[in-house]
Amino acid sequence: MTALLSVTDLSVAIGSKSLVKKVSFDVASGEVLSIVGESGSGKSMTAKALMGLLPHKASATGRAMFDGMDLLAPEVQPPRGTGIGLIFQEPMTALTPVLTIGLQLTEALVSHGICNAGEAQRRAIAMLDRVGIPSPADRMRQYPHELSGGMRQRVVIAMMMLLDPRILIADEPTTALDVTVQAQILDLLREIVTDTQIGLILITHDMGVVAEMADNVLVMKAGKAEEFGPVQRIFAAPEADYTTALLDAVPRIDASTSRKPALAEPLLKAGGINKTFAKRGAIFSKAARYKALDDVSLTMHRGETLALVGESGSGKTTLGRIIARLTEADTGTVTLNDTDLSALYGRELQDKRREVQMIFQDPYASLDPRHTVGRTIAEPMIIHQELSRSERSERVHELLEKVGLNADMAQRYPHEFSGGQRQRIAIARAIAAKPSLVVADEPTSALDVSIQAKVLDLLENLKRSEDLTLLFISHDLAVVRQIADRVAVMRNGRILELGPSAELFAEPRHPYTRALIDVAPVPDPTRKRGKRPVLQGDYPTGPLSEIGPGHWVAA
Amino acid sequence: MWRFLSTRILMGALTIWITTVLVTLLIHAVPGDPVQIMYAQSQGTTPEQIEEVRRSLGLDRPIPVQYAMFMERLVQGDLGNTIRGGQPVLDVIMQRLPNTLVLACAAMFIAVLIGVPIGFLAAYRKGSLTDITLMIIAIAGISMPHFWLGLMLLFYFAVELGWLPVSGNGWLNLVLPALTLGLSNAAIFARLTRSSMIDVMNQDYVQTALAKGLPKALVLRRHVLRAGLLPVVTMMGLQFAFMMGGAIVVENIFSWNGVGRMAVEAIFQRDYPIIQGFILTFSVVVVLVAITIDALYAVLDPRIRRS
Repeated sequence: MTALLSVTDLSVAIGSKSLVKKVSFDVASGEVLSIVGESGSGKSMTAKALMGLLPHKASATGRAMFDGMDLLAPEVQPPRGTGIGLIFQEPMTALTPVLTIGLQLTEALVSHGICNAGEAQRRAIAMLDRVGIPSPADRMRQYPHELSGGMRQRVVIAMMMLLDPRILIADEPTTALDVTVQAQILDLLREIVTDTQIGLILITHDMGVVAEMADNVLVMKAGKAEEFGPVQRIFAAPEADYTTALLDAVPRIDASTSRKPALAEPLLKAGGINKTFAKRGAIFSKAARYKALDDVSLTMHRGETLALVGESGSGKTTLGRIIARLTEADTGTVTLNDTDLSALYGRELQDKRREVQMIFQDPYASLDPRHTVGRTIAEPMIIHQELSRSERSERVHELLEKVGLNADMAQRYPHEFSGGQRQRIAIARAIAAKPSLVVADEPTSALDVSIQAKVLDLLENLKRSEDLTLLFISHDLAVVRQIADRVAVMRNGRILELGPSAELFAEPRHPYTRALIDVAPVPDPTRKRGKRPVLQGDYPTGPLSEIGPGHWVAA
Repeated sequence: MWRFLSTRILMGALTIWITTVLVTLLIHAVPGDPVQIMYAQSQGTTPEQIEEVRRSLGLDRPIPVQYAMFMERLVQGDLGNTIRGGQPVLDVIMQRLPNTLVLACAAMFIAVLIGVPIGFLAAYRKGSLTDITLMIIAIAGISMPHFWLGLMLLFYFAVELGWLPVSGNGWLNLVLPALTLGLSNAAIFARLTRSSMIDVMNQDYVQTALAKGLPKALVLRRHVLRAGLLPVVTMMGLQFAFMMGGAIVVENIFSWNGVGRMAVEAIFQRDYPIIQGFILTFSVVVVLVAITIDALYAVLDPRIRRS
């Protein structure tokens, strides 16, 4: 098969700083090439160089032959849109908020002189229909904010496909989406490749997505191509050490688990929790509220890891915050060691807060940039304990070493640390107060896979050494499988299934749990599946009933 | 959108109501007896006359009664009479308010006309010499006090060059005060426009528009400009209030016969009914402008219009 696009020795640099170093690859018609790598690997820069959309002051060298021209030659204007299309990661920001969907779909057709406005309108509606958007004619008059994330990503795909490109570059097109929506978008992209025989360059950090989608894989690290080859070979016999390490770091939803829930005494009981939030802009009307949590109850046992799993809007974060009493529940109680936290106020509450500490998702936002790391970690001790200054600083050093950093880093500021290191600092802060329960809200989802694996190990070790109970909130079933003793699956503010991790993954009893497990990409190219099932129709959301020892399902 | 606007109108009404309370209390905020102070400089005022003025202003009654009286007159469109001259305050203000509004609008027009294109250009050429030069000028413009800029303009264009009249109330007389007020505000708009445009230009949707192969000019005009102007529109509302305030200074420099000049005279003469009327009118204008800006915002931003 002759290549549609043939890239040789592509390099990108800003001044003397090299971002991409001599990368070569080919993409053929009807083929999916995955460029995989962690943050800073240069995968997005590679795409931007091909589109001629590099940031100001960055320059590209090398050759990229497409349709008889070299895209990187200075006199060549890459055929944006008509030759190569580009889809970004974040569907929420990829469409201009102040313009209608219709205008954004048709403007390029008209501007390129492909057809007149009326014909463009007709083609746009047909394409929206093609990418699976219901009542497409109505959508044309809507604005981006009126569509969900998945729908917007379909609109962006339609927008690019309308121009009939030969190559489509998708830069992390599903990373910002929920797993069930991700599955649908990936299915759509695969269909488009089969039907139109375009070449798809799929940039991702997710080995599961690579395994399911790619024909060829380019593994990148720090701007260099580590290896390039067919997907089966890359997964079965990786040549580069980095590829092996990357594959080992990926948590697997199909891994075996020998975790047994600890049968210790209950530590925390949450009962009958309800929480509603006002919808935006609603000041006068009480009706415009939505239920974030709907009569949720759960019990946590000392020493266990309980995972709350769900998609966005499931209420998992709200539940975590209510347990840490960062958010007040409308009704319901949270009892920790027989003390009702929800009834405490003032001084008593502050004393009890020591018991429950939180780790947040984004380590870039959760550390005060103006405090040294030492001060950040010492703060809970200042509030909760009567340690002398020297004892505190000794304890800070001890904590830093415990989370795998050096004691002498206490004097530094957060911006001097990487994302993974920052999350370690946040963990040190959480355990500084000697809590009995730690609520970790998506603690690894902002991190690269190889870093994620290490942070998960750290949490696991600390749980044992510090005698912690862990409430682990995540959207990622593979991660949950690796770390959790018990799992609670949430959707729309309700727990649908709750059970021991091993049983829940082996025999999911609720249709939604099954769907979640089915759609999660598995990093194994030999298991390539057809179109995935979509969860349709009603499913039980009623009160939980016990169907096995400790295994509860909504009836 | 209607809920959004009705909320804003309600808030505006509340603001004006609070102003009426403050305005009633204002007269008592001055230490000592207000009427005594009012007549401190005039010779030969008898205690009987002072008592008469006090009664006519209602100052001999308890404060809640004073407020009720004030509101009762207010709803009938009566702001009282001036102490010097005894004319109805409302007439005095209405006679001069158009002059101030014309000045503020002209200044706003100049500020936006100069500030927004400069900011846009600076954003487009971010980091270049053009950008740096324009922004240095903008900072200089913001730092320049009205009274100084006004006097400088007056000196060069009216005195030295003789192109424009020094003072008066014709259309030509409007040029210098409007420039004084407009130029320093243009600098604020330039800086805001620049940062807002840079923000928008880095958005994925601008990259996406470029990736569709749209010409750069079209992307700037259609995708960047409109989204980038939203904060500028908000700023226009805030700045209008400041311009009304700035008008007080500028009107006095150029002897422009607006409410600002009237207010300064009234303050010197301790003519409380005028001061009260002025503050009230001022707050009504500011609230009306704020509501207009909110409506404009809703037109520009579908996220507000269609919610």
